[in-house]
Amino acid sequence: MAAGRCFHQVFRLSVSAGGAAAGRTGIRRSSGAAAQHAAGPWRLLGAACVQRLAVISEERRPMEGRFSELMHQMELERSLMSDHELRLLDDKKKLKRRQAVDYDSEEEDDEDRDQDIILTQDLEDAWEQRRKLFHTQPRVQGDVDVRVERPDRWLTEPLVLLTQQEVGADKLWLLPQTPWEAGETLKTTAQRALSSTPGLEMQTVFLGSAPCGLYKYRLPRAVRGSEGVTGVKVFFFKAVLRGALPPPGPSSIWARKSELKDYLKPSYLDKIRPFLLDL
Amino acid sequence: MSLGVARCMGRVLWRQTHVPRMFLEGHCHPRQSPRCNTVLPLHTSAPLCAEPKKKKKVDPKREHVARERLKKRLKKMEKVPPELIPIEDFITPHEYLDETRARSEPKLSFEESERRALLLKEWSRFKHKQHQAEMEAINSALKAQREALEELKVESEELYKAAIKPDPLVFPFSHEGPTYTPPKPKYDAPDGKYNDITKTYTQ
Repeated sequence: MAAGRCFHQVFRLSVSAGGAAAGRTGIRRSSGAAAQHAAGPWRLLGAACVQRLAVISEERRPMEGRFSELMHQMELERSLMSDHELRLLDDKKKLKRRQAVDYDSEEEDDEDRDQDIILTQDLEDAWEQRRKLFHTQPRVQGDVDVRVERPDRWLTEPLVLLTQQEVGADKLWLLPQTPWEAGETLKTTAQRALSSTPGLEMQTVFLGSAPCGLYKYRLPRAVRGSEGVTGVKVFFFKAVLRGALPPPGPSSIWARKSELKDYLKPSYLDKIRPFLLDL
Repeated sequence: MSLGVARCMGRVLWRQTHVPRMFLEGHCHPRQSPRCNTVLPLHTSAPLCAEPKKKKKVDPKREHVARERLKKRLKKMEKVPPELIPIEDFITPHEYLDETRARSEPKLSFEESERRALLLKEWSRFKHKQHQAEMEAINSALKAQREALEELKVESEELYKAAIKPDPLVFPFSHEGPTYTPPKPKYDAPDGKYNDITKTYTQ
């Protein structure tokens, strides 16, 4: 296994280096790397990337607005008139006839005379009045959007859950993660990362058992410990929030993709950004 | 059938010839006649001549076969191909052919038609860009996943195999898409009563 890894490293470095001279240094480097690899294992962590998907549709962009107007216009031009429109035209004609100077009520048919004139326009007004009685929930609530810990902010965009965790000496904002224990799959580790932390119990659906991304870093020699752990590999698993929104918990925030750069380290964010799709 | 008829006729004739002879001789009891040899009373039955009784098998069989043939002929005549169910969408309702419903054709000015053509071209460019962006995003996500799986394979084969295994709990997956307005908390939707007038056809 170690020999195979060594060869792999040699091949990679020699290809990237290029010339023969560089290849020689590459070989030297690779033997060092192989020695490091053979020396210590990597600590595995499972992390859960929980997303609250969009609840309402986005605002139309100007291009989309213009195009939808054009489509509506073209459809109207190519259509036939409906019953409602024909009734409107008939009412207009009747009104015109009645308002004419030489209007003789006896010439009208018996049916038309006895009918009460419920104009189609009146019907439309009545329907409009009824529609105004129904109040919808407002789309934008500015005061809620500002509060970072609430999961019902920014309903048009998908939000990602971040928690503050102690890594080494510092407290960092990360996706909820926990170390892997022997005998469980990494997906179960990610699920445990959510359920074990007090403020993060929520109904989620994990999308498959394969990790969607990886973040790895080497530990500085001082921190490497007795086992000689070379570094840490964090495997991310995607999950979707299901059912009712959870209450805002302590030390957890729901961040939009554009706000992530304010909380996460650049190298960490580079590895997370590919699998956070806005689609 | 014809044999039976013949036998019946024979029986009748024999009886007719038999009775007047007895009457002429003046003997009432058949045993007293010199021509009678037997002790038992005479049976006036048809002469069978050692033939086995075939009637009860052949006739029902023949009738059964004839009846089946008639039934088959009737079925063939009654076989009408099933009426095809009409596809409602392909039949233009006659109300739509009414001339009074046609709108007057709009006369588009040159500027208006130009504006429309340019807008359509802009829209195709916009959508093309959007599609490219989507494809790029999907490809980068797949690349990230592939790299993660390669690293996992390097780490441990078991975990890699567990990750590759399809998850049975994911499907059937359903998600309510975004609406125009967010849901109202504690909203009691009214019962929508409707009369279903869809036409159902049976073949």
